[in-house]
Amino acid sequence: MSSTSPSPSCCHATKGPAELADGMERELARERTLLRRKIRVAALLTALVMLSSLPHMLGGGHPSFLPPWFTSPWTQLLLTTPVLFWCGRDFFTGAISAFRQHSADMNTLVAAGTGIAWLTSLFTTLFPQVLIAEGLPADVYYETAAVILTLVLLGRLLEARARGQTSEAIRRLLQLQPPTARVVREGQAVEVPVSLVVVGDLVQVRPGEKVPTDGVVIEGSSWVEESMLTGEPTPIAKASGDTVIGASMNRSGSFTFRVSRIGADTVLAQITDLVRQAQSSRTQVQRLADQVVGWFVPVVIALAIAAFVVWFLISGNAVLAMLFLVSVLVIACPCALGLATPTSIMVASGKGAENGLIFRSAEALETAGKLRTVVLDKTGTLTRGQPEVTDFERLPDGVLPAGTLLALTAALESRSEHPLAEAIVTYARSRLKEGELPSVKGFEAVAGRGLQGSIGGQQVQVGTPRWFEELGIDTAALQPLVERLEVAARSVAVVVVDGRMEACFGVADPLKSTSAGAVAALRRLGLQVVMLSGDARRTADVVAAQVGIKRVIAEVRPADKASVIKRLQEQGEGPVAMVGDGINDAPALAQADVGIAMGSGTDVAIAASDITLISGNLGGVPAAIELSRAAMANIRQNLFFAFAYNVAGIPLAAGLLFPLTGWLLSPMIAGAAMAFSSVSVVSNALRLRRFQPLPLAEASN
Amino acid sequence: MSNLFAADLINAEPLWRTIEQPMALKALVATIGVALIILELWWFLRRHGGGVAARESEAGLQEITITVDGGYVPSRIQVKAGRPLRLSFHRMNPSGCLAQVIFPDFHKTLDLPLNATTGLELPATKAGVYPFHCGMNMVRGVLEVVD
Repeated sequence: MSSTSPSPSCCHATKGPAELADGMERELARERTLLRRKIRVAALLTALVMLSSLPHMLGGGHPSFLPPWFTSPWTQLLLTTPVLFWCGRDFFTGAISAFRQHSADMNTLVAAGTGIAWLTSLFTTLFPQVLIAEGLPADVYYETAAVILTLVLLGRLLEARARGQTSEAIRRLLQLQPPTARVVREGQAVEVPVSLVVVGDLVQVRPGEKVPTDGVVIEGSSWVEESMLTGEPTPIAKASGDTVIGASMNRSGSFTFRVSRIGADTVLAQITDLVRQAQSSRTQVQRLADQVVGWFVPVVIALAIAAFVVWFLISGNAVLAMLFLVSVLVIACPCALGLATPTSIMVASGKGAENGLIFRSAEALETAGKLRTVVLDKTGTLTRGQPEVTDFERLPDGVLPAGTLLALTAALESRSEHPLAEAIVTYARSRLKEGELPSVKGFEAVAGRGLQGSIGGQQVQVGTPRWFEELGIDTAALQPLVERLEVAARSVAVVVVDGRMEACFGVADPLKSTSAGAVAALRRLGLQVVMLSGDARRTADVVAAQVGIKRVIAEVRPADKASVIKRLQEQGEGPVAMVGDGINDAPALAQADVGIAMGSGTDVAIAASDITLISGNLGGVPAAIELSRAAMANIRQNLFFAFAYNVAGIPLAAGLLFPLTGWLLSPMIAGAAMAFSSVSVVSNALRLRRFQPLPLAEASN
Repeated sequence: MSNLFAADLINAEPLWRTIEQPMALKALVATIGVALIILELWWFLRRHGGGVAARESEAGLQEITITVDGGYVPSRIQVKAGRPLRLSFHRMNPSGCLAQVIFPDFHKTLDLPLNATTGLELPATKAGVYPFHCGMNMVRGVLEVVD
């Protein structure tokens, strides 16, 4: 393939999410520019209208510096009309098309409020004698309409700006990917745009550069920092055979890697996709807010009409009643209600992604904060999941030579993918001279028990001591040994040939350095921590004690993990979270109220979980719970504010307190309050950007 | 700017005054007001007509085009359960709120460029009511999946 002509598959290279987002970004920017221009015009005209209405505001006294033509209602009409129908055009067109659809929204309220103020003023301008005959001053309220509209436009701009910041985290993620890659083509390194890189290409990375896409190192070695994707702070050593993730930062060395994934398949693209999905879902609380929003505007319109009628009946003063009507219309803010939860969810899920915590839905974010019990799988979650054989002990009944025994065991175990089996095979191979293993007939894996098969006429079984007890083999001779190994937190695998106990292995799986700190953090958050393990009780107890877990459910077969979770839920210990490495834990992860999968950092395809920790760091579990609690507190504040604002504001605007206190809200103040209530909601959500998970206490080991 | 603030408004004497109105006028205003309230609530809250059914192609794919202009036209869409669905949104309104349409039950957000048609494929679903809304949750529509 030449470096100039892209291969056909390039053309299919999915349009990066970055490019799509770019288009929207440009449109939003254009819209904001137009909005700003409208606000400038509106502000200027509104200032003039206010100056022009100064005599009316001052209650009759006519300042000598203003010529009479300037303070005339006709001048005010001329100045206000463009504010309403050019600057505020969208409110009116929006309201009309919504009206045709039998729906009413923000636009309806603003358009109705300002429109009514403008229309009554127009009436007064045309027929002042009607009011004078009633004994009322022929005042106009153009400035009210202009001020409300300008403030609402300003609020809209501030809100748009703040809302832009809520998706900042995603934008930052998308910007992580470098624009070009140095691809080796015909023996030469050429700089090509990342979109033209294809799977199988060789890409060179120099110190201080970003890795352009996902792949496997084939030459060279380096330290690579993946913190921006996994939240894992320390750089990771990469050498031949290791996987690298696109957008991670190469620190010290140079290396060449073979591209394994591009475009939408990369880890980065999958992460941004998962976060976007979560941001598109909704929480239970939001369902409630949604229902209220659906009813809100029509009810407010009804209340506004009612306020007009009541005030007219009380005072007989149509102008006063009109002012109350306008106040009620413009003070109500359904936007604050609608925005309360989604903005917090946006910010929180973006913040999670920054810390390597991927929430798959808003509901996961919601439930994680309410958890009472966290179940941790032992292998791969608390421990590294890479067990090593530490002991190989012959038993008194054994007759076979060690070499033969190891070959038989390795032959059987090499057929299994269990981590313990891998450890035994690695150990046996290191002790055996010839590489050929004898062939196995009638291989069978007994889940949670062990493996069996026939090798050269001999029946070979490798499994847990408990299995052989069940099979009726006398394991008395084994007991002291098993006890010693289990107390040292080793798992025990016994080798039985033709019913004779030949030997046993002690296998240890070292703890992750962060496990103890994470367990302590979970307990500090008030959660009950349970360890789930397929190991013998003694082994499990020892591991649990090392990380500070008091409650252990041991000797659980993989298939029973889900039912253990179910039992905990039925016992009322829920909501229950299950933390596992996502491979054999899938049913348990799905059963749990919140399934948390430990991603390996390169494999994000974790379908059964609600939360994925991109790094294998258990510290992500308390961090996710803290983030969830912070987000839910934020949502509650927002909803409370939005409800309280409307519940308090509307009666005030309707003049309910007037007979008692003489308080009367000017429609202009009502407009200002409305414009800034939704800004406050978004600003409060943005406070979540400052969220930092508490640092884990230093791990005990 | 005396009438900007609450209590001062009372001092702006001519405005805050009680005027005796004839009983008939009061009754008329009250009646019109109540009628307006009823009419308005009926217009906005009562469901008007059933949903618009999606067309079905020979391949079994259901298709419908929705115009986005201050609202979703149609806003109530009826589709059959168990068949894939393709929704095309044609956005004509520049309001930024309408630039996104969100299907929370499907975890999908679709960006809608102005004056263009954007397609969204949804998998076959069970019967039920699946709401969708704009980016700011103000403009809404409903997908009615029936057996």
